[in-house]
Amino acid sequence: MKLRYDLPDADRAALEAAAPPDEILMYAVPYNICEDRFVKGFLVITDKTIYKLLDGKVLLTLPIEGCDDFRVEVMYGSCGFYIRRNGTTVLVCQFISGRNLARYSVILRALEILSEQHNTTPITNDLPERFCPKCGRPYINNTTICPYCMDKLEVYRKLFAMTKGLRWMMCFPFVVAVFSVIISFVVPWIEAQAVNRYLEPLSGTPKGSIAGFILIVLAIVSIDLFQRALSALQSRITAVSGERFIMMLKNILYEKLESLSLSALQRQSTGDLMGRLNNDTTVMKSFVMEYLPVIFVQVVSFLVALIVMLVINPLMCFFIFVPVPLAVFLIVRFWRNMNLRNRRGSNLTGKVNRQLQDIFAGIRVVKAFGQEDSEIERFREKSLKSANHNEQTERFFDTFFPIVTFAIRLGSYLILLYGNVLLFRGEMALGTLHQINAYAAIVYTPLVSMTAIPRHISNFLTSASKVFEILEETPEVSDIGLPIDIRMEGEIAIKNITFGYESYNPVLTNVSAEIHPGEMIGIVGHSGSGKSTLINLIMRLYDVNAGAIEIDGVNIKDISQETLRSQMGVVLQETFLFAGSIRDNIAYACPSATDEMIIEAARTANAHDFIMDLPQGYNTIVGAGGFSLSGGERQRIAIARAIIHNPRILILDEATAALDTETEKLIQDALQKLVRGRTTLAIAHRLSTLRYADRLLVLDHGKVAEFGTHAELLENKGIYYKLVMAQQKMGAMPKIEAKTAS
Amino acid sequence: MNETQAKDELLDDGLVLIEKRKSLSLTPENAVFFPSEGGLISLRLTNEKGEIESFERVAIFRAFPITSPEEFLSVREVSPIKNEKGDEIGMIRHLSDFDEATQKLFLEELDRRYFTPIIQKITAVKEKFGYSYWDCETSAGHIVFVLNNPFSNIRAMLDGSVYINDIDGNCFTVPDPSILDPASYKKIEIYL
Repeated sequence: MKLRYDLPDADRAALEAAAPPDEILMYAVPYNICEDRFVKGFLVITDKTIYKLLDGKVLLTLPIEGCDDFRVEVMYGSCGFYIRRNGTTVLVCQFISGRNLARYSVILRALEILSEQHNTTPITNDLPERFCPKCGRPYINNTTICPYCMDKLEVYRKLFAMTKGLRWMMCFPFVVAVFSVIISFVVPWIEAQAVNRYLEPLSGTPKGSIAGFILIVLAIVSIDLFQRALSALQSRITAVSGERFIMMLKNILYEKLESLSLSALQRQSTGDLMGRLNNDTTVMKSFVMEYLPVIFVQVVSFLVALIVMLVINPLMCFFIFVPVPLAVFLIVRFWRNMNLRNRRGSNLTGKVNRQLQDIFAGIRVVKAFGQEDSEIERFREKSLKSANHNEQTERFFDTFFPIVTFAIRLGSYLILLYGNVLLFRGEMALGTLHQINAYAAIVYTPLVSMTAIPRHISNFLTSASKVFEILEETPEVSDIGLPIDIRMEGEIAIKNITFGYESYNPVLTNVSAEIHPGEMIGIVGHSGSGKSTLINLIMRLYDVNAGAIEIDGVNIKDISQETLRSQMGVVLQETFLFAGSIRDNIAYACPSATDEMIIEAARTANAHDFIMDLPQGYNTIVGAGGFSLSGGERQRIAIARAIIHNPRILILDEATAALDTETEKLIQDALQKLVRGRTTLAIAHRLSTLRYADRLLVLDHGKVAEFGTHAELLENKGIYYKLVMAQQKMGAMPKIEAKTAS
Repeated sequence: MNETQAKDELLDDGLVLIEKRKSLSLTPENAVFFPSEGGLISLRLTNEKGEIESFERVAIFRAFPITSPEEFLSVREVSPIKNEKGDEIGMIRHLSDFDEATQKLFLEELDRRYFTPIIQKITAVKEKFGYSYWDCETSAGHIVFVLNNPFSNIRAMLDGSVYINDIDGNCFTVPDPSILDPASYKKIEIYL
């Protein structure tokens, strides 16, 4: 992310006039709002002073010395950058959050460093920008591609380079296209011959022999057969080459994804990567295989028609092509309007449906509060709006579609007029007129579907550049070392780690802890204190920004993912059961488990009895669309799953929140058996859950506040003591606590 | 120490579960707002115990930014922790209860905090590459903003006003779309 922008000349001059020559310019970042106006101002930071510049004027000068608080406040519609100096707070500048929030968070850090100690080395960062530095438009979501500034030819070139090995197959649609263009021009010519020689001269004798007529008929039939055979062959080949193309694309992409480091992958969401692998490759395929040949045919036939008509009759050609711009204009306008209307229509219909869905889903609430009438009124209003809109759209279509059709056929009327004049004068044969009419149709028919072409092209360009972006990403060097497979003992050392989901906004700062093998650690803290984040880091769902996490003395970055995951088990609060049988769900992490092992695990997890109560026992289908189990039952299945998995390190996240006492006892008991002999990290708001924890780690605002045994922490009378007291006080209503705490 | 003992001590100490200041009803009688040296809002508060408390800077939030922008204003202190809202010092029921200078001070601060330019003219709307680009004249000047899904980012309120949230976190409003010029209205009508 850019921290040093080039200043406009006027601002530069103003800065030079205002700043003493010995000050070193360190950062220059834009701000966007001043006195309720959008502006292009700059905030300049030297090693000693902050300058606010706008249009060649210095609006504010603030020495860094004496500043003791820098903060960015996200406000409604903008962000404000506040600095407190010698007890007075000023709003230094206001900026647009999407453009500059991350930038100012870095600047804030930089200023904190500058105010603590004088230095002259600007800090750097590798946060990606979210918009194009050239044109200022936003990048395509989750990429660094600007659809306006990208080199479109380059995309086509890269695509061509990729088609190696498939080219002859992929050329086929184009070969067929050439044939079909030729045929579409030859057939009217043959027909013209038939008319001119055999049909038109009714009164006299035909100009040719009957054999010739049969030949013409045969020619027409055989051309038709040929064309159909060709298109059948084309469909088959397109299907095959299309599948190969998409397979090849996916393989290349997948190989590339595998080779990329985890952190590069984690920069993108799974959904986004899946999208690129599936949707974007499909868009590319259908463009290359389906639309490109069609576009090719349309362009070529347009050109051929132009040339042929020029040869046959230049004036006629003029009549055909003169209305084309008008027709194109009308068609484009008409469909643009129709598309918007249709989208609005489906949006309004969607609103009506959502309203219905809401009412049905919340019918008990509606009835309980006696709101039937007002709901009916709201529904009526929405559906009326939708109906009115659809009616309008229908009227628009019915009025303008005939006009557009007329415009498209305008050329034909001109041809008819002029052609008939020629016909009466005997300067043109009837068949030729028919031929010209057929060519006019070739020119006009594609115009109707033409409006979709720009959309197809832009979709293709976006998808293709997203795919190429991954292909061109270079794997990070630090990840090249061979991953290590270790048999874990379960010792975890957290060494001074700092982490934020956005690196400028740390969730955990300087967290350190030593956890011995087999120890159970309870992680305690208010919501938002970083408990779950710490767990995510230990599971290496994310990489730390600074510091290290070591398991048995090995940095987890060096341990292969497979080893790490295979020796770590997780029981989460919201237990996810996959669609499948209970048996499959328990054996999820270990598909080779025998039935005995599964029953044994279920027994240990206190799940056996309720499973046996189900009509189909272990074969009962659960998960989406299956038998619904209660939260406590699902958790016990998850515990059984973890038991089968037999991990060295176990992670329990809120495992017993919001359950009735009986179920809680069952789960507590199951958990006791599960944690035995394993290094366990447990997050719970109910402190009773952590009764058996060897030590407790108390987090507060991303820092370790307390770390020690239950007794030690009570002795300290710190945060933990307060939490324990608070929960005892509310002991009569444990469930409320459990709910509000999360 | 055994647990019952601790419990008793806790109750004796009056130890509160949630450590937050008690929100007061702020009126001209107990709260004096004045411009701070840095151009923001300072507060001198007479609290329930009759003590004077001074705040170098307070932040003002609307409880109903759309339906009652000048009522139910939450006055908050600046949190010692960054990225967090400070505790509520109190709430102002009607801004009009205060004198004009205070009202002006508040409205200036609220305009900064709720930066919502009014769209006056929509010059062009272009949909391309999956985004919708809007070229507009607003009360804050000319701007081109980008929406990723106009149908969900343009929202009409019950009173007919329209709010637009763009991809960069900007907010725009059209208080009454029907008084826009016809060409502009046509461009936005589709999305309502």
